[in-house]
Amino acid sequence: MAVPTSYYVVLSAAMFCAGLFGILTRSNALTFLMSVELMLNAANVNFVAFSFHHGNLTGQTFALFAMALAAAEVAIGIGIIVTLYRNFGGTDVTIAREMRW
Amino acid sequence: MYEYVPAVPLLPLVAFVVALVAGRYMPKRGALAGVLAAAGSLVLSVAAVVELAGGQAHAETLFTWAGVPGLELTVGYLVDPLSAAMLVVVSLVAVLVHVFSLGYMNDEGETGLPRYYAGLGLFTFSMLSFVLADSLLVAFVFFELVGLCSYLLVGFHFREEAPSSAAKKAFLVTRFGDYFFLVGLVGVVVTFGTSAFVGDGGSEAFPVLAEAVLAGELSADAVTTFGFAPETWFAVLGLLVLGGVIGKSAQFPLHTWLPDAMEGPTPVSALIHAATMVAAGVYLVARTYGFYALLPEVLAVMAFVGGFTALFAGTVGLVKDDLKQVLAYSTISQYGYMMLALGAGGYVAGFFHLTTHAVFKTLLFLGAGSVTVAMHHEEDMWEMGGLRERMPVTYYTFLAGSLALAGIFPFAGFWSKDEVLFEALVHGLGGNPLLLGAYVMGLLAVPVTAFYTFRMVLLTFHGEPRSATAEDPEPVRWNVKGPLVVLGVLATVAGVVNLVPVHEFVPAVPEVLHDWLFHGPEGLDGEHYEELTRRFAGYTAGTLVAGEAGTVLVSAGVSLALGLAGVVGAYRLYGVARPTEHTDRLGAVETVLYDGYYQDEYQVWLADRTADLAKVANRFDQGVVDGVVDGVSSVGLLSGRRLRRVQTGVVTSYALAIAVGLTVVLVVVGLVGGWLP
Repeated sequence: MAVPTSYYVVLSAAMFCAGLFGILTRSNALTFLMSVELMLNAANVNFVAFSFHHGNLTGQTFALFAMALAAAEVAIGIGIIVTLYRNFGGTDVTIAREMRW
Repeated sequence: MYEYVPAVPLLPLVAFVVALVAGRYMPKRGALAGVLAAAGSLVLSVAAVVELAGGQAHAETLFTWAGVPGLELTVGYLVDPLSAAMLVVVSLVAVLVHVFSLGYMNDEGETGLPRYYAGLGLFTFSMLSFVLADSLLVAFVFFELVGLCSYLLVGFHFREEAPSSAAKKAFLVTRFGDYFFLVGLVGVVVTFGTSAFVGDGGSEAFPVLAEAVLAGELSADAVTTFGFAPETWFAVLGLLVLGGVIGKSAQFPLHTWLPDAMEGPTPVSALIHAATMVAAGVYLVARTYGFYALLPEVLAVMAFVGGFTALFAGTVGLVKDDLKQVLAYSTISQYGYMMLALGAGGYVAGFFHLTTHAVFKTLLFLGAGSVTVAMHHEEDMWEMGGLRERMPVTYYTFLAGSLALAGIFPFAGFWSKDEVLFEALVHGLGGNPLLLGAYVMGLLAVPVTAFYTFRMVLLTFHGEPRSATAEDPEPVRWNVKGPLVVLGVLATVAGVVNLVPVHEFVPAVPEVLHDWLFHGPEGLDGEHYEELTRRFAGYTAGTLVAGEAGTVLVSAGVSLALGLAGVVGAYRLYGVARPTEHTDRLGAVETVLYDGYYQDEYQVWLADRTADLAKVANRFDQGVVDGVVDGVSSVGLLSGRRLRRVQTGVVTSYALAIAVGLTVVLVVVGLVGGWLP
């Protein structure tokens, strides 16, 4: 017996909110990156769930693309974090606030 | 067809850009570009005349500049007999002046030549565009541009005080007249809904509308007259536009800028202040003659101002010692004649005098320039003398120009001046005593003109040299002599284009210019204008003795006799080896004349009296007009200064803003779209 699609959607929403909560409350750049991954994967869950629901493969293909994109994004994100660490002596995003009015 | 006509003004514009950008790298500092462009314009203008002789006039709208349906301001050009003839005059003078400048500016080692040639190019462009304008609006734009070029070129030697202040004066005084023109232009557009000189498919030309209203063919409701009678309101508009004409054509009382403008280089004086820019005013009247011919009061003002200016400026020329000053006052006086002709219903006569004057006055100015080069920039005639043997080419061409200016048979000026006076006389006799008054002033100016012209010639070229430089003047080259010879020949023979008095007796002799201006497009030809002046201004031709032929003879005879009297008078007083300053015998009158009747002084006095008003206006401009603009911008500035605080630089707050924003958008879309209950 298949799991109903609504369950997946609820799971996805929960993951997304967890990621958003992480971004809004934490100040560590690494936690940021992980939260972003969580939100991205919430989208992936949705893709796969609806792909299954509609019985076509487009959504699953998109999920694969999104994973590749996430990998690239992490590579850049890590690079930014390294630079952040070098310049500000830590990975706290609230310290780096030079770019403002 | 006439597709090439826009190239006539555009060629000098290209020369302007070339001289400005690349002039300093070019062998003659941009002069060659100017000469080539002006020559190209001349060739194309002649082509237009030739084509027009066998074809139709042509008007074309190039684009719509601004406007709403029903009131569109368009830009276009109009090729008709008047504008085509004027194109030839302007571009011919421009070519010769460019060539002359090679001798006057380049050979004299002046600096800043690219700026000079750029100015000449821009001026030629503006003037040719003005001539081609198809509406009062376009004409106004180029009228102003011509004034700007005058400012730039009079102030060419801007490091010296006199030229830069003369440039400012030329600009401000003509601007004062142009202010009235601007108000008149707005008035014309508001009144008629168009300022076009010639009608196209959808709309009529404004002179035609005015004519229809005054003739009762069109109801007065078709035009906006602000509650005035149409006659009154049209006269007001005509007078307002005439303000610009009086400023630009240096008529009394706005003539004061022209003598000062002689501070500019002499070729500039020849091109701008004798032959073309000053002609712009007179040309504008000729262009809109269909409108002026309807307004007897304005015509009377025009004729009277013209006649008065002719006499008044001529008397000042009698006592001036500076060669160029004599020519300056002579220019003012001659433009007075043109205004007199136009005011007296002599449309062809006015344009004829404009043409011949352009030729012989350019000649005289270039001759004066040649003398100036030879005399190492000494312009006082009392330092000259005896130049006849030392510079024969300049002497004989200058003499031809002087004979033309003095109106001696058979030189060009005789024919045109005679026709001007003839028109004023016959229309005066036909029942307009006012015109007779203007005629008398014009007639009195004839001997005055002849006298100052020959005083100038005799002092400059005859007698014995009165200074070391005059003993041994610097030789001038081909580029000075060439233009002089061309103009000298033209000044001698140009009268043949309109031998009206001869035609009167021998019908086989053609009156070319007369026929040329009479065959224009409908409503823009001399024949129509003649009918308008007869119908609306009551100009009918009267006769003096023995019918029309007798009047022609008497008129020509009187003006020729007076001219000869002036020449003989000058010869008696100054045609000796060592002339003395006879002007001293005039006593106090001399001082009054020498200071130009204190016109400058009273205008300065007026300007001083109105300085407080100007200060108030300035405060209004700075405070209220600029204040509103600054106020509007300061709102943006202030709110921007506050709003930028949003950019905290903390990445978390941006993320929050995005999340909240997205939520708000979703909720709103949901509510509006009805997804949410």
